[in-house]
Amino acid sequence: MIQFQQVTKRYAGGFEAVKNLSFEIQSGELLFLAGHSGAGKSTLLKLIAGIEKPTAGAVLVNNQNVARLSRASLPYVRRHFGLIFQDHKILFDRSVYENVKLPLDITGFNGMEAKRRVLAALDKVGLSGKEKLNPISLSGGEQQRLCIARAVVHRPAILLADEPTANLDRDNAHDILELFKSFHQVGVTLVISAHDETLMADYGRRILRLKNGQFTA
Amino acid sequence: MKHWFRLHGLAIARTLKALLRHPVSNGMNLLVIGIAAAFPLGLYMVISSVGGIAQKLPVEPQISVFLKTDAPAEAGQALLKQLQGNPDLQEVRFVPRDQALKDMQAAVGVEDLLGGLDSNPLPDAIVLKARLDAPALQLEALQRQLAGNPAVDSAQLDSAWAQRLQHLLNLGRNVLQATVVLLAAALVLLTGNAIRMQILTRHDEIEVAKLIGATDSFIRRPFFYFALSQGLLGGLIACGIVVGGIVWLNPAVADLAQAYGQQFSLRLPGPLEVGAVCAVTLLLCVLGAWLAVRKHLHKYH
Repeated sequence: MIQFQQVTKRYAGGFEAVKNLSFEIQSGELLFLAGHSGAGKSTLLKLIAGIEKPTAGAVLVNNQNVARLSRASLPYVRRHFGLIFQDHKILFDRSVYENVKLPLDITGFNGMEAKRRVLAALDKVGLSGKEKLNPISLSGGEQQRLCIARAVVHRPAILLADEPTANLDRDNAHDILELFKSFHQVGVTLVISAHDETLMADYGRRILRLKNGQFTA
Repeated sequence: MKHWFRLHGLAIARTLKALLRHPVSNGMNLLVIGIAAAFPLGLYMVISSVGGIAQKLPVEPQISVFLKTDAPAEAGQALLKQLQGNPDLQEVRFVPRDQALKDMQAAVGVEDLLGGLDSNPLPDAIVLKARLDAPALQLEALQRQLAGNPAVDSAQLDSAWAQRLQHLLNLGRNVLQATVVLLAAALVLLTGNAIRMQILTRHDEIEVAKLIGATDSFIRRPFFYFALSQGLLGGLIACGIVVGGIVWLNPAVADLAQAYGQQFSLRLPGPLEVGAVCAVTLLLCVLGAWLAVRKHLHKYH
């Protein structure tokens, strides 16, 4: 379970990206974060993953205050998350296979098990047979799928996706959301941010709307 | 434990990849490390080779007194008798000019040394060997006193040159120490800079790895292995340069020594010295990597 307790995030210069937010996300929930650019969606996801620390309040993940974790213990908490970034953060100096394998290298999986998991993740996102390619040769939708494969390959309990359907056409966006739905069906907690509410409406899940760092009705 | 070995194996594989990805720039870097380490090693080999010879040289004080060629024989004999009573001397030997000429002919290996000369130009000489415990100041006073004798052309304190050589060797050792300190600092800075460049070029990889749960040690490990390989290979290159240099120089050095009737050559570094050079370059490179990693990895989440 994820809990926000009166969380405020103020950046240097005084800009408040998130203002006094309190809410909960249950285990296994599929939650959408909606709002315009600059509403605070990305900051909220970064606060959950411990990439940003709140200026005030507490962010609890499984009753652990993420903001209070030491530099040494934070990596171990991050391994519970699968992160899908708005800018993909794909490494173009290595193959599709090596990109997906990175979380397994970090956690020290052995060769055979890592290979099995990477191929399964690529199969799940529809990139089978493309493992040897350089990601630069993939389309925008395929790069997003690669990012998702990397996020799920170590089987995290929580998936945080920042604008995963941005820059994709409607069919591709639906395919990606269907993929997330399949992860949700096996018990993964999902927090997905997007600015296109019409896409979210098709899934009939809880939507938290943000505007200027605060929830709106 | 298996997990630990797996992570280290992975780091070594990543290091090898990084080395092979830029073979030219990494090769140049290795060469710079090798050349930097070769300077003090080469200097050390020269000093230890010359020092070995110097240790065998007699440093017991000896005064050579050369009489004037026109000095009457009685004056020489009187001086000899006077010196034989000196308690600071253990041996007083008269070397007649004909004997001196024979000795010189034997040393140089030329039968007809006089050639076109009218007569033997060498003077009679008296060689004085002082007792080892004779005070140096007293010997210097004796040398000055003998030099002032009207029958004496010159008097030389012969241990002086050996002492000068020792002083030169001491100076060389000091220069070596200063060179080692300076080049050690250069190696640390050089490796630190190479690692800094690697951190910059691998910025994306480090950022992604940190975001998805990589520990600091996971990020640091390949850089340390890189520095380790640079230090080890750089040390071996330094030894190679010095061995090559000595092999190349030795015939010329031997010829020069031969011209002075001596046998001398520079010695090659032994296994212990090679090991020590590799260990030192390795430690310095790892130190440079540690400083660079410590300074530059903090900015990542």
